[in-house]
Amino acid sequence: MTTPLPFEGLKVLDLSWVVVGPTTAKYLGDHGATVVRVEAATPLDILRTAGPFKDNVPGFDRSQFFGEYNTSKLGISLNLKSPAGKEIAKRLIEWADVFIESFTAGTVDSLGIGYETARELNPSIIMVSTCLMGQTGSAAAFSGFGFHAGSIAGFYETTGWSDLPPDGPWVAYTDTVAPHILSASIMAALDHRRRTGQGQFIDASQLEMSLHFLSPQIMDYSTTGKTVTRIGNRSEFFAPQGAYPCAGDDRWCAIAVESEEHWEGLKSAMGGPDWALDGKLDSMEARLENHDAIDQHISEWTKDQDAKALMQLLLSHGVPAGVVQRSSDLETDPQLSHRSYFRHLEHQEMGTVPYAGHQFRIKGYDSGPRFASPVLGQHNEQVLRDVLRMTDDEITEAIIAEAIM
Amino acid sequence: MLSPYTVLDLTGGRGDLASMLLGDMGANVIKIEPPGGSAGRREPPFMEGGLESERSLNFFAFNRNKQGITLDLESEAGRNALRALVKEADFLFESGQPKTLDSIGLGFDELKNINPKIIHVAISPYGWDGPHSDYAASDLTIAAMGGPMSVQGVRERAPLRISVPQVWLHTGAEAATAALTAHALMIQTGEAQFVDVSAQTAMIATMLSATSAHAIQGTDYQRAGALLQLGQASIPLVFQCADGYAVIAPTGPTLAVIVHWFVEEGLVPESWISGEDWPTYHFRLLQGQPISYPLDEVLEAVTKLAIRYTKSQLLERGLAEGVSLAPVNSVRDLAGFKQLEERGYWLTAPLPNGQEAQVPGLVVRMTETPMSVRSWTPTLDEHNNDVLGSVLGMSKEEISLASGVDAG
Repeated sequence: MTTPLPFEGLKVLDLSWVVVGPTTAKYLGDHGATVVRVEAATPLDILRTAGPFKDNVPGFDRSQFFGEYNTSKLGISLNLKSPAGKEIAKRLIEWADVFIESFTAGTVDSLGIGYETARELNPSIIMVSTCLMGQTGSAAAFSGFGFHAGSIAGFYETTGWSDLPPDGPWVAYTDTVAPHILSASIMAALDHRRRTGQGQFIDASQLEMSLHFLSPQIMDYSTTGKTVTRIGNRSEFFAPQGAYPCAGDDRWCAIAVESEEHWEGLKSAMGGPDWALDGKLDSMEARLENHDAIDQHISEWTKDQDAKALMQLLLSHGVPAGVVQRSSDLETDPQLSHRSYFRHLEHQEMGTVPYAGHQFRIKGYDSGPRFASPVLGQHNEQVLRDVLRMTDDEITEAIIAEAIM
Repeated sequence: MLSPYTVLDLTGGRGDLASMLLGDMGANVIKIEPPGGSAGRREPPFMEGGLESERSLNFFAFNRNKQGITLDLESEAGRNALRALVKEADFLFESGQPKTLDSIGLGFDELKNINPKIIHVAISPYGWDGPHSDYAASDLTIAAMGGPMSVQGVRERAPLRISVPQVWLHTGAEAATAALTAHALMIQTGEAQFVDVSAQTAMIATMLSATSAHAIQGTDYQRAGALLQLGQASIPLVFQCADGYAVIAPTGPTLAVIVHWFVEEGLVPESWISGEDWPTYHFRLLQGQPISYPLDEVLEAVTKLAIRYTKSQLLERGLAEGVSLAPVNSVRDLAGFKQLEERGYWLTAPLPNGQEAQVPGLVVRMTETPMSVRSWTPTLDEHNNDVLGSVLGMSKEEISLASGVDAG
């Protein structure tokens, strides 16, 4: 007997785009739900126009930025501006248990497929609207990307070097925070619905979800007026720590001394260096104060060493250490191989490509992703025929009425 | 929403957010700390004054909606109390060194014998088993091994982490999703589930487009400051304004609006307005098709424009004209950000030191099962008598033995 999947039988309408909504729908799909991802050909999901592209050849069906967040989904390209396209969207709403959308606040209402309509069509539907600022408030229409919300939330102010302008986290940071929380919220709403039959509307603001990741610092400001800012790789509380240069082209090893045990371990890994012998640095306060000088000594010691060997040496002395891994390192990381993290799946245009796996494993269950992301409109016919059970005549009519792009 | 469920939280500063999220969703959460308190109680930043065990803002931030008890798991009495709690629980979160609970007879195999439907979620730096599972780790080293540091920062300096620790927040939040996924599986199979959450892979998820860059395009992305990577074109995102910085994505929809501002300020000739199909500018740039004005000139205009505006002027005018220009906010700016106030986002928490703090509110709004904060973070040993006495029916003497703390 095969193990059932956690969300087997669940039906999800994914009318969202970019990262947060699609990632959340992908979770449900990877874990067994039937997900129909609706795309409008104009404007295209911007991730289809952003790299990385397979073999560096740009193309709407060659972006793995799009691919990563759209596994285990059926893709349909629907013209939501045509009456016939809207009719199909409504039929999908009737079909779905969960309906996720991420347009600018108010857009679904103007398309005639807002929550009021959805609830009339399907009283127990769980509808999720996710956007940067939430559905209400004077900035509700502030549409954009995770770098906009990341900047407003405070993650740009707190990422970078203290003597340089803000650097910011890579690309669209709040897009990486929101899916954890949104997925859990939807799963909890589904459990409530399983027990009670009751659906509901979820208004998710990516800013509001993400601010929890700065919660202690927000509390600190509100009680002491202290304003947290960027300090490179350092900590206000622990020293030394940083990414230190190693042998080779742009190779680095991160080292973090967070206790006296770690400090003793570092000194012994370094063979008891002269500069640390007098005991003057044997307190966190002294090390925080002399961080620059300590960094110079450590860098001098690390710069000709192999990053991985250095990490092993430090770990053997009980010091937290980690090579700064690039995507090429992740491909061969033995821990990730052990977890079967990357899944190689057959994509219609790109061939066999790796997809990132999940951040957790459940014993005895393969969490997928189950199948590759769709090329634009890949499952148009399958969705109309098998999901919506439309007849050949109805499908032909829909095509003539320009419901499908 | 999750009120039928009981959650046991044994995590020590590396997963507090997981059970807090389930608690906000209505679950009954019991935080179980070792004698002397969770390691999280010693995590900075600290509030001013107050008892040493109650000073951590970090601990306070992520333990609301929980009852707090102490159990000495090194004693048989403590272990028996945990067994009794597991019997009535639905979820158990832990974040100790992998296999620690096994070594004291409380591993998954024992737990599922006690409770055949328990969801056991283990949070660790690299995973429950495998070649790196015993690596010493910290926020910084996991951010390194997970990959995001390789693409953050400028080429001239070291790879960069976010200055505020993020790793255990990503991991904790994901553990909530993991727990509910396993719970859905338990509903299907009727069987207890063991869930292994890896912080390293939680950090890989923050690499977004860079995750598989090498396998897909043949090269890793290089760190090059704050930029938007559009195919082979790298467009800066952070611009200096009159009183700080702002994030401006100089792509088609933005340029279509602010080109009028360029003209207004005399930064470019009026012919720019009709001289380019601005909404599609970046698509053509991406595809190497003809554009009327080179990217350098466009960026120069954006740079000159930004410096003439304050952060909030950019935001406000952008909002009025339908274009998104984002201030680089500090926590101070955030406290005054109107949108959050209008939505009633902030909550006020009474801190153990007597002060009141502004804290982030509910993660999402739900019409039928609204989340809520029913209680703030428990003080050390606060609910020993309530939970061990009233719920488990233990005597004062038994409570003292199980908790390692005199129950009076």
